[in-house]
Amino acid sequence: MDNILSVLVFFPAIAGLLGFVVDKGSARVYGISVATVELLLALWLWMSFDTANAGMQYVELIPLVPDFGINYYVGVDGISLFIVVMTALMTLLGMIGMSIEKEIKNMIISLLFLEMTMIGVFVALDAIVFYLFWELSLVPMLYIIGAWGGPLRIYASVKFFLYTFTGSLIMLVGMLFMAYLYNSVSGVWSFSLTDWYALVLPENYQIWLFLAFFAGFAIKVPMFPFHTWLPYAHGQAPTIGSVILAAVLLKMGTYGFVRFSLPLFPDASVMMIWPISVLAIIMVIYTAMVAYAQEDIKQVIAYSSVSHMGIIILGTFAMNAEGISGSIFLMLSHGIVSGALFMLVGVIYDRRHTKLMSEFGGLAAVMPKYAVIFGFMLMASVGLPLTIGFVGEFLVLLGFYEISPIGAILGGTTIIIGAIYMLTVYKRTFFGPVTNEKNKTLPDLNGKELTALVPLVAIVIWLGVYPKPVLGPIDTSVKALISFMHEKARSDIAKDTITLSKSVKEAK
Amino acid sequence: MEKYVYIALFAPLVSSIFAALFGMSSKKNFVGVIASLLLATSFMASATLASYIAEGGAAIHVTMMEWIGAGDLMIPFGFMVDHVSVTMMVVVTLVSTVVHIYSIGYMDHDKSFNRFFSYLSAFVFSMLVLVMSDNFAGLFIGWEGVGVCSWLLIGFWYHKEDVSPEVNPSISPSWAANEAFIVNRIADLAMLVGIFVLYWNTGSLQYDVVFAELPHLDTAILTTAAIALFIGAMGKSAQFPLHTWLTDAMEGPTPVSALIHAATMVTAGVFLVIRANPLYSMDAVSDVSYFIAALGTFVAFFAASMALVNRDLKRIIAYSTLSQLGYMFAAAGLGAYWIALFHLAAHAFFKALLFLGAGNVMHAMHDELDIFKMGGLKQSMRATYYYMGIASIALAGIPPFAGFFSKDAIIETAFNEGTLILWIMLVVTAGMTAFYSFRQVFLTFNGDHRYKEFGIHPHEMYKFVLVAMSPLALLAMIAGFFQGSFQEFITKLLPNYEMSHHTHELVYYLGGLVLVVAVSGIALAWKKYGNGLKRDEKCENSFIYQLLKNQYYIPHFYAEFISRPYALVSEMMWRNVDMKIVDATVDAIAHILYFSGDKTRKMQTGNLSHYLNWMGVGFVLLLIVAAITTVIG
Repeated sequence: MDNILSVLVFFPAIAGLLGFVVDKGSARVYGISVATVELLLALWLWMSFDTANAGMQYVELIPLVPDFGINYYVGVDGISLFIVVMTALMTLLGMIGMSIEKEIKNMIISLLFLEMTMIGVFVALDAIVFYLFWELSLVPMLYIIGAWGGPLRIYASVKFFLYTFTGSLIMLVGMLFMAYLYNSVSGVWSFSLTDWYALVLPENYQIWLFLAFFAGFAIKVPMFPFHTWLPYAHGQAPTIGSVILAAVLLKMGTYGFVRFSLPLFPDASVMMIWPISVLAIIMVIYTAMVAYAQEDIKQVIAYSSVSHMGIIILGTFAMNAEGISGSIFLMLSHGIVSGALFMLVGVIYDRRHTKLMSEFGGLAAVMPKYAVIFGFMLMASVGLPLTIGFVGEFLVLLGFYEISPIGAILGGTTIIIGAIYMLTVYKRTFFGPVTNEKNKTLPDLNGKELTALVPLVAIVIWLGVYPKPVLGPIDTSVKALISFMHEKARSDIAKDTITLSKSVKEAK
Repeated sequence: MEKYVYIALFAPLVSSIFAALFGMSSKKNFVGVIASLLLATSFMASATLASYIAEGGAAIHVTMMEWIGAGDLMIPFGFMVDHVSVTMMVVVTLVSTVVHIYSIGYMDHDKSFNRFFSYLSAFVFSMLVLVMSDNFAGLFIGWEGVGVCSWLLIGFWYHKEDVSPEVNPSISPSWAANEAFIVNRIADLAMLVGIFVLYWNTGSLQYDVVFAELPHLDTAILTTAAIALFIGAMGKSAQFPLHTWLTDAMEGPTPVSALIHAATMVTAGVFLVIRANPLYSMDAVSDVSYFIAALGTFVAFFAASMALVNRDLKRIIAYSTLSQLGYMFAAAGLGAYWIALFHLAAHAFFKALLFLGAGNVMHAMHDELDIFKMGGLKQSMRATYYYMGIASIALAGIPPFAGFFSKDAIIETAFNEGTLILWIMLVVTAGMTAFYSFRQVFLTFNGDHRYKEFGIHPHEMYKFVLVAMSPLALLAMIAGFFQGSFQEFITKLLPNYEMSHHTHELVYYLGGLVLVVAVSGIALAWKKYGNGLKRDEKCENSFIYQLLKNQYYIPHFYAEFISRPYALVSEMMWRNVDMKIVDATVDAIAHILYFSGDKTRKMQTGNLSHYLNWMGVGFVLLLIVAAITTVIG
């Protein structure tokens, strides 16, 4: 199966098209079956992936517009592999746990299309293909928020669309300019990332291009101060929308930094460490404080997502294997944990149609299974060792300590303020006496919800105790990325900052 | 021998998982019994390992598997059984076993009986990971693990609602649990920083590699690492100013207070300093070590002072724990690591006994904790009276009980080092310790039967519980006699600390002085409280009394100057900054675009002459742009 990646990308889309003729009553089963097959394919990809090989695997190249060097060009390495697997997993579990009854068929079709665009983004190796999937992913999400959302759904979905779209357009300009530069150096057009990697640019070009890509990625992440679309989107989106948004869509931004910004513009990346890490640290602390002030549980999780994304950004710009590997691992763990947390908020919303903490209290006695699973996710979210959350966070902070001890300490406050808002949510929701009559008879998790949540708990513990199967391949590719950047960097300061691992140094 | 390592370590984990399977079902006695048996197994395995090590066996080192590997970092799940860790293992598993059995009786009527055992065993597992790990990251796993278990157990009775701090200074179990977790997290950040410093300068987190590299590092790095790790230790061991959580932690069930908040978890900080003795005994960080000793002495005194006036049975013991932890840090800071460890072990025995005795009293008094409402309980609770008496004598440092030997050694060390102020404070604290311990014993067990007013009919605890407590009582009495052999055993690994010749000559006078101070403390307590409670209004209203009673107003200060501002600033950030500045700017840009589009739409009138006009304007603008570019270019 050499074209497994194309199958992964287009199978959900084709299944989605066929979904139009599926009977409404069986739409959910249909969707779940398709997503299961997709997940099995993704797992097959992982199993047959050569973990010792740091480069791109399962590469496919089909010329689309040869005159301009635009190709359908996909491939997967240790960095993208697990994000693809996670995307398939979260889509499936999100669908299983979904409680939506209204227009269920349209929802399933939207989700399957969304899955195509998400996987497409993570396997694309051609800038135009990447851009196409990147922009296409907005459409199903716009529809999901706009059609199934809360009272402010139109405002929220339009804001989400226009805001991220604006950023992407600037990124597109950057891509076109990059291709133009490539053309002026080599005489041929190419949008292929691997061709672009070979291009060594002067620093001033790098900075401008870096900023253009930054506009696209930073809004998507979302980095402070471009984050305000996110609380609205989460606040209005249905549970499934929030799960996918937090687990996968935000990762496109941080993935973009790793895939584009670092290897294409190593000198600019090093120069931008300071401004970006300042933004990231503000993001970590400021949004964690804002999260603490929220009254709505879902908004707490939404702001906490922004705060954790700040840690991921810090790791990406740590310029050493510890930090970048940690940051990619954290993308996965944040996907799992925030996805699970949004599902958990959905559980209580389905029962009470409110997400305000003041409406609850004492739920631990009424819904013990729910409280236990929420407790696990809480601990993973605050980065407890032996849960998935610790590994990435620890590596990121460790890695960034090499760049700046003060920065690592400020970013490290996440372990304190993260605990403050999460424990406050838990206390106000689950502890204390059951004061509200309506809460006294709430049913505990049902089979559907447990099926969606228990695998996530298992993953949280498994990858917390034994992260090696995932961290190993990531690290292999990251080490290669770092040696590449080190090689390519022009300035001495960049060469100094980009830290080669000892093992790599010795091999040389 | 390796298999014993695994048995000792994993028996509590099995116990925890087993109990968790029944976590949501009704009380099942066999859960408690099996958990206790598994804990006893763990103890037996630890004891076997201890005798193996004592007979001169080499330290056992096992590496289970790799945990985190990225870049140059390689962290395994590695465990090490040497003199220090085996001592901790024996102490932890012994006290844990007793506490597990005790809990079968104490938690008898609790509907969450099974859940309790699950948490309790999980705690023991975490604590064993903490002490057995062969690297700093593994230590951190245990470190955070005990933190979570402590959170779960303090907040065990989560259904209680928040009350104002005037009614209950701990507000509620869930509040106290969160406080403990968050305060510990503050210290944990520093601990992480210490780990990062060591990693980037030594390239590893394994103890042996790190300690071997230490002599090659410069002073600044060593000092940073020493300070950072010690701040971490301050959190777990509740040293000033991170101490408030420990007394609030008394909201947890009493067996928890005995095991976690007295005998084991809170000593983790002391353990860390002992474990990292190659770092703390370096000349380059002697200032840090001296600071540790000074802070320890201060806390010993400071905590004892608050215990003098407290009326809450458990809080008094909690303050005394704080104070004794101060003693341990004083010893460790002065370089007497083995004495610190000896006091740690002896303290674990008598303090656990004291807490479990307090648990019996609570059980008898229907959860009443105010010692002013007790009195005369010795008639109805004779065994408990003896147990608490033994523990208090040990705590007060009266020979031949354990506390005398271990505490006296610390006070002697302070004299030996010539740190006169520390020595004086430690001696005074010994007197205060004797006073508050016996104030509590006399008010609880002697004098008039004040509880009768409240219609309470106290009764003694179950027999098997009393029997289970007996090993602790025995150890509280005799542990001191093993000082010599313990020294010989432990100094094979830890640096030996011997008193100078000069101190040696004075040893009887020094010991005698401390003893006199302690006995006068007891005598004073007897004079004031031996024959029942006589309230002294004038004294109780004095400034000092109020200051001590309100814990120097420190919790109040934290609430007013940290918690409240944090909440206010957060609220302000959200409502004003995020909504009114950041988001409003985005919306404003969108509005400008919309309005400009809306207004300029008027240009499209369909009238040809208007279009020509606009064309003219555009042409002129382009000319201007062209002119400017030529001038600049």
